[in-house]
Amino acid sequence: MDNRLRELRTAKGWSQGDLADALGVSRQSINALETGKFDPSLPLAFRIARLFSKRIEDIFDDGLGAMKRAAE
Amino acid sequence: MPKVTFREANRRYRRGLIPAVVLYAIAAFAGSFWIKTFETPPLWVSSLVAVVSVAPVGIVFWLMWRLMRETDEYARLQQAMAMAAGGLITAFVSMAWGFLELYDVVPDMWTFLTGTIFFLSYGLIHRFVMKGPCEPGFGNG
Repeated sequence: MDNRLRELRTAKGWSQGDLADALGVSRQSINALETGKFDPSLPLAFRIARLFSKRIEDIFDDGLGAMKRAAE
Repeated sequence: MPKVTFREANRRYRRGLIPAVVLYAIAAFAGSFWIKTFETPPLWVSSLVAVVSVAPVGIVFWLMWRLMRETDEYARLQQAMAMAAGGLITAFVSMAWGFLELYDVVPDMWTFLTGTIFFLSYGLIHRFVMKGPCEPGFGNG
């Protein structure tokens, strides 16, 4: 699943370690999320969204949102 | 149980692992030396040495289980996959050796070596397979 995590993190000037500490996860988890190796669970996705004050779908894109917009 | 952070979970794991490994080494060596002092070791001595030697291994398995419960979701996925693969490899190697033993192709293997096979395969997979590049979306069904 594509996501804007790296973009949002670097906009705040945070390292992967900083973001990991803020979310209570490992730096490896953040790296895996940013590189698309791993998709977060729902609770983690909510924590990420709240941290950046955005909606989950504004951060993560499963590809169906673009299809829906194209259909509209 | 209060939720622990990823870092604290790792600290708890290391704090238990190091003493367990030291205890295992002491028990295994000291126990074998003690048994050799007997011409024919009594059953209770042999049993005691065996149980004391394997007890730290049980502790390590419990520590691994607790770490899986306490760590973060990505590390838990990696651990679970590595443990599953290690278990499957151990089962296969043990069964293969068993069949070879059955037909006298190879000598009898000590059963406790299955533990060695598991730790070796789990460790190699965790280090070289799970840490390496994965396909996008790995582990998400």
